Amino acid sequence: MPLLQINDLNVRYGEIVALRGVSFNVEEGQVVTLLGANGAGKSTTLRAISGLAKPASGDILFDGKSIAGLGPEAIVRMGISHVPEGRRVFPGLTVKENIMLGGSNRKASKAELSGEADAMFDLFPDIRKFSDALGWTLSGGQLQMVAVARGLMAKPRLLLLDEPSLGLAPVIVQAVFRIITEIRQSTTVLLVEQNARMGLSVADQGYVLETGRIVLGGKPEDLWANEAIAAAYLGGHGKPAAGLPAH
Amino acid sequence: MDLVLQLLFTGIGIGAVYALVALGFVLIFRATNVVNFAQGEFSMVAAYLMVVCAVDLELPYWLSFIIALAGMAVIGVIFNLGVYYPLRHRTYLPVIIATIGASILMANGVLALYGPQPQVLPGWFETPGIQLGPVYLDSQYLLIIVVTIALVIFNYWFFEHTMIGKKLQATSQDKEMASLLGISVSTMIMITFIYSAVLGGLAGLLVAPILFVSIQMGSTIALKAFAATIIGGFGDVAGAIIGGLALGIIETFGAAYISVPYKDGFAFLVLVLFLVFRPQGIFGERVAEKA
Repeated sequence: MPLLQINDLNVRYGEIVALRGVSFNVEEGQVVTLLGANGAGKSTTLRAISGLAKPASGDILFDGKSIAGLGPEAIVRMGISHVPEGRRVFPGLTVKENIMLGGSNRKASKAELSGEADAMFDLFPDIRKFSDALGWTLSGGQLQMVAVARGLMAKPRLLLLDEPSLGLAPVIVQAVFRIITEIRQSTTVLLVEQNARMGLSVADQGYVLETGRIVLGGKPEDLWANEAIAAAYLGGHGKPAAGLPAH
Repeated sequence: MDLVLQLLFTGIGIGAVYALVALGFVLIFRATNVVNFAQGEFSMVAAYLMVVCAVDLELPYWLSFIIALAGMAVIGVIFNLGVYYPLRHRTYLPVIIATIGASILMANGVLALYGPQPQVLPGWFETPGIQLGPVYLDSQYLLIIVVTIALVIFNYWFFEHTMIGKKLQATSQDKEMASLLGISVSTMIMITFIYSAVLGGLAGLLVAPILFVSIQMGSTIALKAFAATIIGGFGDVAGAIIGGLALGIIETFGAAYISVPYKDGFAFLVLVLFLVFRPQGIFGERVAEKA
């Protein structure tokens, strides 16, 4: 049974239809990447899974149980952690406090959370020295690290990552994706990316969204192999990113 | 010089009351982005609860104090569920209007139950005060200052050193993100309303023996406290406390050296000067926090 099943999901914002009949699965232990242009519905898909957007119809099954229509607080307690677009690090709290709050979905004492947050800096050594800095003082790359670390503090079975590379310098993007490859050792990841090259380089499975519909899905090498698709969605002229089989 | 010290003591005492009410304004504003125009009525209702318990029922003063504060906690719950919660997904305007409605309801509710005559509430202590060198320390003012200092320390500890304080801060900074982390946003807002109602109530209980207990006392205190939050920097906790103290000192000195009848005028003159020349207040609005 897949860890996450999305069946014929429809989401509307008022009159605007954001998702139409989206269906796909995420198997346990996989990294699945959703690709597509701005406004294609990638973020909406994640928001529906984490409970921020209410589905108009269709179902979302997590571990076989329907979570469609539940609130975000209940869903994160079940083990789905959403690192949203724009990082959303609390600006008036310190880095460490931000990370500690990531464990709010579990019963853990302040001392336990503090110890876990310290341990989290082993995975994100670059932000250790900013432990006591307020969120608003950090750069984009540092904020992304904090946001991912905070998301992992929930000890999720499924991590939803929305555009982790957005607005970051290439070298920082590399660092973020190195972390994703480490995360995948223990956690299933559903990744949304505009950077198709990077997004597919870590993926087991990829889907392309276009105006609220899934138009294509498959293994990364198959997506690259489809030349028309590669040209339209993946910028398929250069050579693939490291880790991808050449096509 | 003696007079200056004496006025400073009195000014800090009355300013501490404004600071407590201002703190209530700021905490609710930060949690809900709405100014609670019923904040002053919390002080008024608490003072009447105190009159009922301590004067009418002749319960011990300390017990009456606890009952009045517990009553304010209950009113905080009712206020949250009745005024804020049903409108929480609307813009700020319907919520603000609802708080104005609640304030009218509370004032007229008390008027209907208790009548228009102002009531007298004795102070906590039998001894009127102590002479410390050149300054006479009135016991009620002393109590106000001590309680306010204790509360400011408690407030700091609560928000900076407990997880629930951190969750409250997180909720006030980004509700959607807080909910994604599993923080119960509605519980956090409930706590904020309870805390603010108790703070406002405490201010009312402390100031009631100095003023008369009347239907109007809430709006008078609230206006000064609101001015204090603007002077301090709207939305800033430290600013609310400093602004409250500053306002208390300014109006006390103004009354002593310039004109007693214009005492309230000085507070609002300072408010107008701030609005014209430094609308962001002493501490300024931390724009980065909203980023």
